Amino acid sequence: MKSSHINAQIALLPAILIALVVYCGTTGWTIWISFTNSRMLPSSVMVGWRNYLSLIGNERWVVSVTNLFVFGALFISAALVLGFLLAAMIDRHVRAESLFRSVFLYPFSMSFIVTGLAWRWLLDPTLGIEKLAHAIGFSWFHFDWLVRPDRVIYTLVLAAVWHAAGLVMAILLAGLRGIDGEIWKAARVDGLPVWRTYISVILPMLTGSFATATLLLATSVVRLYDLSVAMTNGGPGVASEVPAKFVMDHLFERANVGLATAAASTMLVTIVAVAAPWLYYQQRGRRT
Amino acid sequence: MSTEPRGKRPGRPSIGSGNEPSGRRPQKMTTGRFGLYAFLVITAAFFLTPLYVMLATSLKSMPEIREGNLLSWPIAPTVAAWVKAWSTACTGLNCTGLQVGFMNSVRILVPSVLLSISVGAVTGYTLSFWRPRGAEILFGALMMVAFVPYQVFIYPLVRIFSYAGLNNSLAGIVVVHTIFGLPTMTLIFRNHFAALPNELFRAARVDGAGFWRIFGQIMLPMAVPIIVVAMILQVTGIWNDFIFGLVFAGRENLPMTVQLNNIVNSTQGEREYNVDMAATMLTALVPLAVYFFSGRWFVRGIAAGAVKG
Amino acid sequence: MIRRTAAGLALACALGGAAQAQDLKAEVIHWWTSGGESAAVRVFAEQYTKAGGTWVDSAIAGGANARTAAINRTVGGNPPTAMQFNTGKQFDDLVEADLLASIDQVAAEGKWKDIMPAAITAAVTRNGHVYAVPVNIHGQGWLFASNAALAKAGATMPKNWDELFVALDKLKAAGLVPLAFGDQKTWERGLFNATLAGRGGAAMFEGFWGRRDVALVKSPEFKAVAESFRRLRSYTDAGAPGRNWNDATTMVIQGKAGFQFMGDWAKGEFTAANQVAGKDYDCTVLGDKGTPYILGGDVFAFPKNKNAVAAQTLLAKTMLDPVTQIEFAKKKGSIPVRLDLDVSSLDACAQKATKWLADKSTQVPANELLSPPALTGAMEDVVSQYWNDTTVTTDAFVAKVVATLSAQY
Repeated sequence: MKSSHINAQIALLPAILIALVVYCGTTGWTIWISFTNSRMLPSSVMVGWRNYLSLIGNERWVVSVTNLFVFGALFISAALVLGFLLAAMIDRHVRAESLFRSVFLYPFSMSFIVTGLAWRWLLDPTLGIEKLAHAIGFSWFHFDWLVRPDRVIYTLVLAAVWHAAGLVMAILLAGLRGIDGEIWKAARVDGLPVWRTYISVILPMLTGSFATATLLLATSVVRLYDLSVAMTNGGPGVASEVPAKFVMDHLFERANVGLATAAASTMLVTIVAVAAPWLYYQQRGRRT
Repeated sequence: MSTEPRGKRPGRPSIGSGNEPSGRRPQKMTTGRFGLYAFLVITAAFFLTPLYVMLATSLKSMPEIREGNLLSWPIAPTVAAWVKAWSTACTGLNCTGLQVGFMNSVRILVPSVLLSISVGAVTGYTLSFWRPRGAEILFGALMMVAFVPYQVFIYPLVRIFSYAGLNNSLAGIVVVHTIFGLPTMTLIFRNHFAALPNELFRAARVDGAGFWRIFGQIMLPMAVPIIVVAMILQVTGIWNDFIFGLVFAGRENLPMTVQLNNIVNSTQGEREYNVDMAATMLTALVPLAVYFFSGRWFVRGIAAGAVKG
Repeated sequence: MIRRTAAGLALACALGGAAQAQDLKAEVIHWWTSGGESAAVRVFAEQYTKAGGTWVDSAIAGGANARTAAINRTVGGNPPTAMQFNTGKQFDDLVEADLLASIDQVAAEGKWKDIMPAAITAAVTRNGHVYAVPVNIHGQGWLFASNAALAKAGATMPKNWDELFVALDKLKAAGLVPLAFGDQKTWERGLFNATLAGRGGAAMFEGFWGRRDVALVKSPEFKAVAESFRRLRSYTDAGAPGRNWNDATTMVIQGKAGFQFMGDWAKGEFTAANQVAGKDYDCTVLGDKGTPYILGGDVFAFPKNKNAVAAQTLLAKTMLDPVTQIEFAKKKGSIPVRLDLDVSSLDACAQKATKWLADKSTQVPANELLSPPALTGAMEDVVSQYWNDTTVTTDAFVAKVVATLSAQY
């Protein structure tokens, strides 16, 4: 009896070590460094809130944060809608179901580097779709969003939705398959049209699956980095910059560790402020 | 349960109740059905376009790429670009292609996947059944980390690793993947175990089974679908990793993604799109194969509770 | 644990007087991955092998990526033997943190002070100690032209900026890409620097990056520079954003584009494509107020490592060897860092550069020599936004430049 409990403690050791040393240790260190005047290497000269002040005044940071919100909102909603449509349709006894499923899911297996490169080639006006349209005679056709500062963020959304819609489909499909067939029968007896059944009966029952999908998509939004690097490298100008890239560039290339860690800490605090209550609520919900 | 969907072999055991389409059975080919198929086919075409373009381009010769259009199938398909990407493409003075990176990625992948899943499974099991003091806090901390951009951790980790002598080594990169795989792995195993009836656990305890015996003989065999999901997630995640490989693996162990980036971004004279695309596809081959061959398991594993909220 | 054991072993060897235990294996991190660059680094590798060493090549595409990897490894206690930097302030912090080995002895023996330009020796010296070996001199703001494209458009090689715009218009009318451009932040800054030095003059360039002279930036002359810079954008093609610099050079080589502003490393691409300066392509540095040859280059720094001293010394000596210097310069498109060599075998562009280099009035130190990476990077963002976002007015740009120059970096 006793030994089992000791074993349980031992089993948790790696996780506890990782949580303490890596998670708490490094975040604490990062926050501390953000108050110093560190450049390429960490220094111990405290400068108060200076890095945070210059962060607020930094236009690229402002653009990055705005981009993250625009990207996040569009990407999550588009991926959820497309993923749900696909799941619902596949669920309606289509032929070649597993083929469709694989086709929609395969982009998720690709790295963001590969995704970014593939879409960069397709959307490059001198190389991809636009060139193709011109070659077959549609010289009026223009699709140059990749190189337009005011549109480039939408091309990132396009690539990211392509990447993740299949995952949403898989999660929602699992949710749909968990719904009792009796419910469909009841809806039919009541004379509800199919689309009404989906909206007023099925959707509410999928809340859990939607929450899971949103959670997974949200984590990839705050981590958005590779896609921006491979597809546009933040350009044109700073139009497709994102916070994680801001941190990386200033950490290394710009040799401005103070500013980079200030940006990282700002992200961290924001995320914790949003995620902690949500997680707490989830936990409470589970226990009752 | 007579509504086994078409396209699936009959008699296959289904997991849980979660494997049959729940929509109404279709009758004839109505306008609605037609629209449904049209939507699916068009969407599928959209999803396949990048893959098709990469494949077609990689099989073309450079003159054909210059003259022809993006969507045409190569007139005289050639695998020359694939051979070059695999064995002779250059980064600086090293003209050994992607094969070195492939071997490195395999050497990183195998131990990382095994270690991260083991740690995640044990942690998830302990958290759901044994609940030692502070378990909730630990779990909360793990979940929080799932949201934090890796960039926050990288720099201090470099310092910690160099102090521990782990920097730029195979062991180092394996540990990194274990650390950052832990939140997701713990989450999916914990969710799975938490969904199992607690009586199972109590009965085993009454029988006098200890910590590891319950884990090894009862819980693990029941977690097979979740292990499959975990494997799929970790294999693709670790294979596709770029930033950890770049920072932690060291020169001798640079994974394939880093090499891909080097090759694609270092042209010698005219940009060889066919070689770039072939290299890109070679790098994506392993995760692609994993998904095409095990996509079905993935959906089933999710249905069995791998990623419930 | 392993490291401690290794250190113990090293100590034992040193005490035992086994000096020959130091091997001459040199792992060199650099970002020379394009055609011309690879050919050039091969010269170093071959010469080093001839001198009895073993060259281990660590090429990482992209200067920032390469420096990141090198710095991380140095900080992490597993440094390469040598790492590349641009001549300038990029390694200041490494010196301050005492991570670089000084090579005073090599510099003294080689009489660097007598054979190199003062700006270059100053750029590798900190607090009286030499911390890096300069390997070449690059001129940054060159204008390259495809003679075929110019002939086709009936344009001639310009002698000043007004003539340049005339030629660009002709190329545009002929349906060619007037200005080949790899639109990435670094090259936007490069183009801005070429305009700043060319239109504004060397004094304005030094005032901008070196003294951070705010009054200068507020002058009408600077505004004219900014507007010329932005005007160049209308001569680039839609595929420019994200393109690599050497892909843009290929457009000039193939005669699809007329001009490219780039450092003289672009010559390496012309050479690799068997094109000859003066015949297939032309080169010049355009200046309205005297020739502003923007003097930069590459250096290799040596992280502190007791076991690598012999390899590092041999590397430094090999890289500065007269034969290596000339051969390297030919492939790389640079000119030798030593002024005491016979450069008659170099191409026409390099001959021009050597002439400018001999005269202090026709040169200006590069951006990297004058400002730390943090300022350079912050300015890069400002320049990039002005270049790409047409809603940013020139006055707003000037205000942002002033703010950036006045900030603490």
